[in-house]
Amino acid sequence: MLKRRLIPCLDIKNGRVVKGVHFVGLRDTGDPVEAARAYDLQGADELCMLDITATVEGRQVFLDVVRKVAGQVFAPLTVGGGVRRMSDVRNLLMAGADKVAINSALVTNPHLVPQVAERYGSQCIVAAVDVRRVPALPGEEKPPYEVVIHGGTRSTGLEAIGWCERLAELGVGEILLTSMDCDGTRKGYDLEITREISRRVSIPVIASGGVGSLEHLREGLADDGGMADAALAASIFHFGLYTIPQAKQFLGEHNIPVRPPELNRGY
Amino acid sequence: MPREVTLVDANLGNLNSVERALVQVGASVTLTDDPNVVATSRMVVFPGQGAFGPATQAVIDGSMGAALRMVIGRGDPFLGICLGMQMLFESSEENGGQEGLKVLPGKTKRFPDGMKLPNGRPFKIPHVGWNDVQPSGDHYYFDHSYYVELGDSSDLMWQTSYGPIEFPAAIRHENIIGCQFHPEKSQTAGLRFLRTFVLGGRS
Repeated sequence: MLKRRLIPCLDIKNGRVVKGVHFVGLRDTGDPVEAARAYDLQGADELCMLDITATVEGRQVFLDVVRKVAGQVFAPLTVGGGVRRMSDVRNLLMAGADKVAINSALVTNPHLVPQVAERYGSQCIVAAVDVRRVPALPGEEKPPYEVVIHGGTRSTGLEAIGWCERLAELGVGEILLTSMDCDGTRKGYDLEITREISRRVSIPVIASGGVGSLEHLREGLADDGGMADAALAASIFHFGLYTIPQAKQFLGEHNIPVRPPELNRGY
Repeated sequence: MPREVTLVDANLGNLNSVERALVQVGASVTLTDDPNVVATSRMVVFPGQGAFGPATQAVIDGSMGAALRMVIGRGDPFLGICLGMQMLFESSEENGGQEGLKVLPGKTKRFPDGMKLPNGRPFKIPHVGWNDVQPSGDHYYFDHSYYVELGDSSDLMWQTSYGPIEFPAAIRHENIIGCQFHPEKSQTAGLRFLRTFVLGGRS
């Protein structure tokens, strides 16, 4: 059967991992290539790298990082940050990304999705959707969630569940769902919206934002939790709190189907 | 002596990772988009990603398609990866129906839309992630919405199930090997698969 994926995510600024990286037994360099290589060797199911640089020079540095990382790993690589047009997608794929995460441009230029799907296939498009809870209006039972863009600085007025359904129709291959309310809190994923979207949308959903413990990964993936197909996390791995094999062992012991940890590169 | 492998660049995606994985397992790789080079090769890897559509049709109908048929017909070891495997069969349902290279009987079908699984989750398409293949139980990385339905069940090498669907993870017919998964993205298991092909011409 298909296993749930565990995806460490590296936020890259000016060519360096931000938030800091402390692997057990490795120098703390903040070097994304070293970090990605370590996660690959630990048996991460996939790697995600997001460029949070806002400058043109930063983009070039990021492309170079993608090229170097892609040259070091034998795992799928999802890459995003500042993808606005077809040429951005092409540059990232040519640099070695397997999938490209598109965020704000989904809202500002939704025609990009069918264009990319026709040229490169739906499987290489990951819709990065950032959501936050908004206050319920009189008469609304539950407070709805809205889609935000530009790193959460701009409201779109789009209702999150309907928007994700629309993205699936447009032809994206996966949804990377990040809760702005939970991101960085280490209190766990927003299980409510993760579950709603996982249940309603016919493409895989990657839960993101808020992981502080192994239990949070389990909750996000469980049938009685977020129902996500994959769990993305950053700091619990970067700070060396847990290794990928430890996380997989925990998930396996709690009935989440995962690929057994791969402990060496002997083949 | 490293094994000489010709990696076919039919403009169906970035081949760096396939090339690097082949080099890692000891192959000497010639990356080419020239049908003449392909036609005279003694071991060929044909990767593909994306959609079965106009781009694949151009390959199938053009001189590259003729070169691929020539290598296969001559009996030299041939590995098709993902779309490169699907293209070996008669036809695909994708993009309103497409014809394949027709070197093997069978067709490519889309996973059924709109189904629910017993655990309450939708049956999601594409099939993305690591799945085990039988009989070995090893895990490989998949990312696809279409799968091959074999016309001759004896071509089955490894099987995988996704929800209610069982499909070939890998196929074998004489000198032809095909895999639906991405060995170049499947860490140790994938490298082992490629090494076996490169060393023996079979997996």
